[in-house]
Amino acid sequence: MHDLYNFVSGPLVWVAFAVFFFGCLYRLIRMLALVNQKEKFIFSYMSFKYSLRSILHWSIPFATENMRQHPVMTIVTFAFHFCLIITPLFLLAHVILWDEAWHFSWGHLPEGLTDIMTLVVVFGCFFFLIRRLRLPEVQFVTSASDYIILGIVAAPFITGFLAYHQWFNYPFFMILHIISGEIMLITIPFTRLAHMVLAPFTRAYMGSEFGGVRHARDW
Amino acid sequence: MYNRIIKFLGLILVFVLMWVPAHSQDEMTAIDNDMFLKPQRPVSVFQHDEHNETAEIEDCAQCHHLYEDGQLVEGESSEDMRCADCHEEKGIGKTPSLTQAFHLNCKMCHQEKKSGPVMCGECHVK
Amino acid sequence: MAEVATKKKTTQILDEGIERGAARLTTDQIATVVNRVLKTETGARLKTYVETCIHCGLCSEACHYYLSHDKDPRYSPVGKVKATLWEILKRKGRIDPESMKQIALIAYTECNLCKRCAMYCPFGIDIAYLILVVRRICHLLGITPQYLQDTAHSHAATMNQMWIKDDEWIDTLQWQEEEAQAEIPALRIPLEKEGADIMYSVIGPEPKFQAQLIYQTAVLMNVAGLNWTMPATPGWDNSDMAMYSGDNEIMGRIKRAHFEAATRLRVKKIVMGECGHAFRSVYDMGNRWLGWKMPPIPIVHAIEFYYNLLKEKRITVAKKYDEGVTLHDPCNVVRGGGLHEKSRYVVKAISSNFIEMHPNREHNYCCCAGGGVINCGPPYKNVRVDGNRIKAEQLFAAKSRGATTLIAPCHNCHSGLEDINHHYGLGFKIKFIGDILYEVMEKPE
Repeated sequence: MHDLYNFVSGPLVWVAFAVFFFGCLYRLIRMLALVNQKEKFIFSYMSFKYSLRSILHWSIPFATENMRQHPVMTIVTFAFHFCLIITPLFLLAHVILWDEAWHFSWGHLPEGLTDIMTLVVVFGCFFFLIRRLRLPEVQFVTSASDYIILGIVAAPFITGFLAYHQWFNYPFFMILHIISGEIMLITIPFTRLAHMVLAPFTRAYMGSEFGGVRHARDW
Repeated sequence: MYNRIIKFLGLILVFVLMWVPAHSQDEMTAIDNDMFLKPQRPVSVFQHDEHNETAEIEDCAQCHHLYEDGQLVEGESSEDMRCADCHEEKGIGKTPSLTQAFHLNCKMCHQEKKSGPVMCGECHVK
Repeated sequence: MAEVATKKKTTQILDEGIERGAARLTTDQIATVVNRVLKTETGARLKTYVETCIHCGLCSEACHYYLSHDKDPRYSPVGKVKATLWEILKRKGRIDPESMKQIALIAYTECNLCKRCAMYCPFGIDIAYLILVVRRICHLLGITPQYLQDTAHSHAATMNQMWIKDDEWIDTLQWQEEEAQAEIPALRIPLEKEGADIMYSVIGPEPKFQAQLIYQTAVLMNVAGLNWTMPATPGWDNSDMAMYSGDNEIMGRIKRAHFEAATRLRVKKIVMGECGHAFRSVYDMGNRWLGWKMPPIPIVHAIEFYYNLLKEKRITVAKKYDEGVTLHDPCNVVRGGGLHEKSRYVVKAISSNFIEMHPNREHNYCCCAGGGVINCGPPYKNVRVDGNRIKAEQLFAAKSRGATTLIAPCHNCHSGLEDINHHYGLGFKIKFIGDILYEVMEKPE
């Protein structure tokens, strides 16, 4: 058990973070290189002001027409994405592990709160799953990969929740939690989870086109 | 009938008499976490004597170390002090915070020896 | 939901252009063309859009086809991308000719490229661009709807959309000049006037079927006392169906001819008639193909032109049009040019009873005629009217609040809405802004 724990919490973490950071960087560089190589004109249309205007509108709940048309989806997706990013960053146990390894620390959230936030993420995944299964327009464009990435995202939170509460087999779920978290980090750059880094750019481009050329709103 | 009751009460008395001395020695079963006003996790399980017996630790200083001016004082130990006497809630300079002191002291050794709990919930048992 | 997804489309349209095109092809040839387009013509946009789309389906309710077909997922924007582009990418271009026919039908006749979905996608994915890539592939494969292709041929051969001969064009202008002189004796339609301020350009169908629109504009120009001209050479037509058929090379040629006519006449700007797709061609797509970030010569769409005339009081209104009017916001000048507030200013200046339809401005529903769909011809008329029931509902709601006249400042919208008006029995009078402006403006006695 010690060897396994030391492996997944040591070298594998390095691997996961390295793949995540360099993978995301690679995705961005490759995208920009491709723009430079084949669609250079895009750069000339990019506007900081209109990019920001668009990104901001789409970052505020109910600030766009489509969000108002789907209030439940809007609430769930904002809560989901907020908790998805904030929970692991400010989870007490994560902060402590980081402190132990690097003697570097930042604030953390109360465990009772992160517990709820974890459930929000899990519930969000469940909601998205139900959407995929039940809504015809989503079901129609759903393939196996969509379920897989949903699972990849849900896994660290489900196992983390079980491990925190020490239900069932604690060491088993703890190890599984670490591994699933690493899988998520590793897969982000190479699956459509890459929207995490790419979506701001597609949004910014559309925002620039609508603002600078089309003189119209894109929300 | 009375005989039976007396025998039964006698038996209870014997148990009580055996039980009290066993605990009157104040054997340590958990980490001393008085310092933490609002601990987030349950107190860590720690059977002091049993631990040292299993781990075959003879030298108190192995855990109860003593530092002066950031230097480990060889041959001295600090079992007469509380960890919190040196380690405060927040780390100061090279002195780790109390939380970190506990974690580092236990966990590092466990990892080195490949024995004993290393994951959060193995000490902070709910 | 499986039920909806497998429901057969009611009619199978046999289009000569698509049928014959497909009959000539093999899967290998299709793969070759697809991969050439993907390799040489697409780049970061296509790749990023496809790899970022999270398949959430949130673009669905942006599409009038989807809304009009009882939310059939095949008509959602992403559903159409799945049936076309994803399929092409998944099979690495190895699509058999039969499937390619279906792909062409979706790309050409079930999407108007109106970009409403781009405003509904949380990531701002330009779905219309993805459909245009599919059209580009279809064009290079020679699978294009017959009517649309004929129009593109006309562009290629005559530099105008309607096979109008050079002398017919001049004749038409002189005919309208004479007609208008009956009303304003000193009126001129100045041809080839070098150094004029304005070159006025129209789409091919105006001289062909709607010459009175040129008449009206001539009156407007003369009353406002503007220094204007029209070219007597090819390049007078600002329309562009090659842009929609996927024939970018022809798009470039006709836009160059258009811009060069203006340059030759040394005008300060081009004013264009009430057309949406032509605006897209000169302001967005054609200029870019030619390497111009923005049009090389300022382009003023009719809406903005009228706005300036009224704002500067070069034209005054004698008596406002008093019937209830509602205004359709064409995609290419509103989502494509932001002219929605100016069009409202104009409509309010010329009419006394303006009734908004909902949704409006950038969120207005498409007419279902644009994007070259109406130019795919009569075989697809039902596709357009059945595919836009939601528009009929939207118009009906405006009618129930008192609107009897529908203003559509775009040729494609105009024709598409006529069909919807007729099919659903809405009973609107459909007009261009220019029709009403001409009617209500102060004219010299």
